Amino acid sequence: MPHDNYLYQTRDIKFQIKEWLDIDKILSLDAYKDYYGADDFDAICDVNYKICRDVICPANKDSDEIGMKHVGGNEKAVISPDVFKTVYNTVIEAGMGPGFGDRQVEGRMPLYWYAPILEMQTGASPAIVMLWCLTQGATTVLQYNLSQELQERFLPKMYSGEWGGSMCLTEPGAGSEVGAVTTRCFPTDTPGLWKIKGQKCFITTGDWDGVENIIHLVLAKDPDAKPGTAGISCLVVPKFWVNEDGSLGAWNDVTTTGIEHKLGIHGSATCSLAFGENDNCYGWMIGDGPVDGRGKGMAQMFQMMNEERINTGIFSLGAFGAAYYAALDYAKARVQSKKSTDPKGPSVRIIEHEDVRRMLLLQKSVMEACRALLYSSYYYIDLSKEAATEEERELAEDFFMIQNPLGKAYISDMAWQMCAEAIQVHGGYGFMEEYAPASLARDCKIYSLWEGTNFIQSQDFTGRKFTMKKGEPFKKWLAEIGDFIANKKTPEFAAEFAMMERAFASFNSIVDMNAAWTTTNKQLKQLFATRIMHAAARVICGKLMLDQGLLAASKLAELGDSHFDANFYKGKIASVKFYIMNVVPEIFGTEEAMKAADTSAIDCPEDAFM
Amino acid sequence: MKVLVCVKQTFDTEAKIELKDGKIADAGINLIINPYDEVAVEGAIQLKEKGIAKEIVIVAAGSDKAMDAIRTALAMGADRGILVQQDTAADEFARAVALAEAIKAENPNIILAGHVAADDGSSQVPTRVAEILGLPHVNVITAVEIAGDKATCTSEADGGTQVTEVSLPAVISSQVSWNEPRYPSMKGIMAAKKKPVATAAAAAAENKVKILEFSLPPAKAAGIKLEDEPEVCATKLAEWMKNTVKVEVK
Repeated sequence: MPHDNYLYQTRDIKFQIKEWLDIDKILSLDAYKDYYGADDFDAICDVNYKICRDVICPANKDSDEIGMKHVGGNEKAVISPDVFKTVYNTVIEAGMGPGFGDRQVEGRMPLYWYAPILEMQTGASPAIVMLWCLTQGATTVLQYNLSQELQERFLPKMYSGEWGGSMCLTEPGAGSEVGAVTTRCFPTDTPGLWKIKGQKCFITTGDWDGVENIIHLVLAKDPDAKPGTAGISCLVVPKFWVNEDGSLGAWNDVTTTGIEHKLGIHGSATCSLAFGENDNCYGWMIGDGPVDGRGKGMAQMFQMMNEERINTGIFSLGAFGAAYYAALDYAKARVQSKKSTDPKGPSVRIIEHEDVRRMLLLQKSVMEACRALLYSSYYYIDLSKEAATEEERELAEDFFMIQNPLGKAYISDMAWQMCAEAIQVHGGYGFMEEYAPASLARDCKIYSLWEGTNFIQSQDFTGRKFTMKKGEPFKKWLAEIGDFIANKKTPEFAAEFAMMERAFASFNSIVDMNAAWTTTNKQLKQLFATRIMHAAARVICGKLMLDQGLLAASKLAELGDSHFDANFYKGKIASVKFYIMNVVPEIFGTEEAMKAADTSAIDCPEDAFM
Repeated sequence: MKVLVCVKQTFDTEAKIELKDGKIADAGINLIINPYDEVAVEGAIQLKEKGIAKEIVIVAAGSDKAMDAIRTALAMGADRGILVQQDTAADEFARAVALAEAIKAENPNIILAGHVAADDGSSQVPTRVAEILGLPHVNVITAVEIAGDKATCTSEADGGTQVTEVSLPAVISSQVSWNEPRYPSMKGIMAAKKKPVATAAAAAAENKVKILEFSLPPAKAAGIKLEDEPEVCATKLAEWMKNTVKVEVK
């Protein structure tokens, strides 16, 4: 049976949101100060937890086993399992859906509170959460770029969940190479209104029967467009036309030609869409139209893409977090084999065996480290939009931009590996579909692929992010890590600080080699990009975890060993030590490999790949 | 029409209960609104949505922590709350006296409550409140229709249902199958912060019950594993059920 028993825990979520990150600073910002207190997070988190446990997670079985069905036609081309409507309506009515996308409304919630909501929802069902996430992402582009009149026409029903949203980039011949899109847009006599013709594929939630309309954001090129990404424009193309008064008009010649049969997230329709097969599809240009063949589509789409990338990190965390809690539950119940220290004694629960504890603590520590990276990134987004000074907003924006590829790629790579560990904890049963990690492993694989593959993220990180604004933000980001390691040492974590010192030095050496290869050996730079990105993620995660360890140690000293919450802080300290002493050192392997500069992957003749 | 709902804050039904020094160790345990009372709150909100109720007042007796239960009910859609400050060790009698005193001052048309609390399971408070106030009481209802100053209640009864007509004001306590409580919405949570909650001292009342001891249910005994031919296993299982589990065969 697929994952349908919600075992997710919220203690570390609340620690990171309320105790570790400076919640008072965020809640003192003008946007939030009149609306929220720290305890409001508990109320919101607890309601979301109940919905995840009682409504979303039980529906994950149908999501995985029944999934979406393509039946064709113009009205309801994709049919969802019956239970989806109940789940969707519950989430929408509770205000836990696309309404969070409204970043201009008075009383909006801090964005970094949204991260755990999405994480917990994904932990309940990686597929079902897509029903509202893409809508939220689409509203990000529309609210900042669409005319006021068109915003009023589209956005209210997207925020309310009556209409869905999608982002249409990929085409059969244009995946990672977005500039190769062949979908065309043609001006009409009505200013801003364009005719659309083309085909898109791999469109998540491109269609389903739980909403009245789908508002597609479509990348297309005008007849005079420059080659590559420069010529791309972005248009808002509804499945059903939206009249001036906001009512629905006729079908807009957007056809769902099929859905993919995928490894996982069966409950999320991955659609192939045809625009203008009958030469009768229209859309509104988002922002000003193209000038001299140059469109603004990529820049606009990246506003959505940047948030979808960090959201992908959150999806990854939710999926492997759920797998960890399933493994933990199983390890506490499954009795098998004697203890290594008592070979003639009784068989014990497998959580008493060393290697199972290693696997569990690996999952727990990576989960908490990834959570720290993601929540701190969301925190930077909040500051980048709401901080009082331009200087602070800019620095926060820069740090978010640096961390975003790590949040997307490192964490989605970890999701796949940690789900494998969760399967391993289950032994042979882990390979059976009736245990949760199997479906979660299938579901999480997409995260390393969509929103720009993880290699694309590594190119972004080791290329643009190292050098943006002449490399100054990256230097500041590194300096913050270095200052922390140099100045926060405590005897309790002496060994961990020593390890971080070595790791930081190693990472600086990695950065220098990468910089040198930019001009001397582009192929080596490509070969090591993924590994450099992982090394960076381990350094920043190590720093963030150590910071949490210091806080946990002081809290534990304050509360005492017999306090009911002592075990949480002990567990946090164990996670910190394990992560730094067992996961961070992988950096040294990357440094050594880079020094060796092995090029066998390039040198090997193609015909020798046999 | 004013509807008043009595709520109690209880341990989360998913919480692991442990004893310390002969008492329930409540530190760190998540507290929730009693699920049976939650049904009563939902029932009140539905009466308001139908235009029958004009105002919904939530009353809880307990420590300051019970404020969270009131806020949850306000987030669901109730209008205002009253926290009757009382020692959590109050028994059902003292609790009923405290609630009745607060209810009297409000003079509501309908008093709703869950028929039982998920923690002590005593099923006494609504009945005692009705007795103290001299009002009729209908228990374990699964539906209610209001017409003028009368309520027609459908209740569970042995082997079927019972329909009772009662004149208002009355105390009506709900069974869980009455409705499916809604989840508080984000909007509701934020609105609840601004809704008024008054506090009042509990009317004096001595407990009539003294709790001598708490104990956890005995740990579940390990099962047996039979490894033999099917017919041998069946015989052994039957013997085990008869002699150990004491299953009576008629």
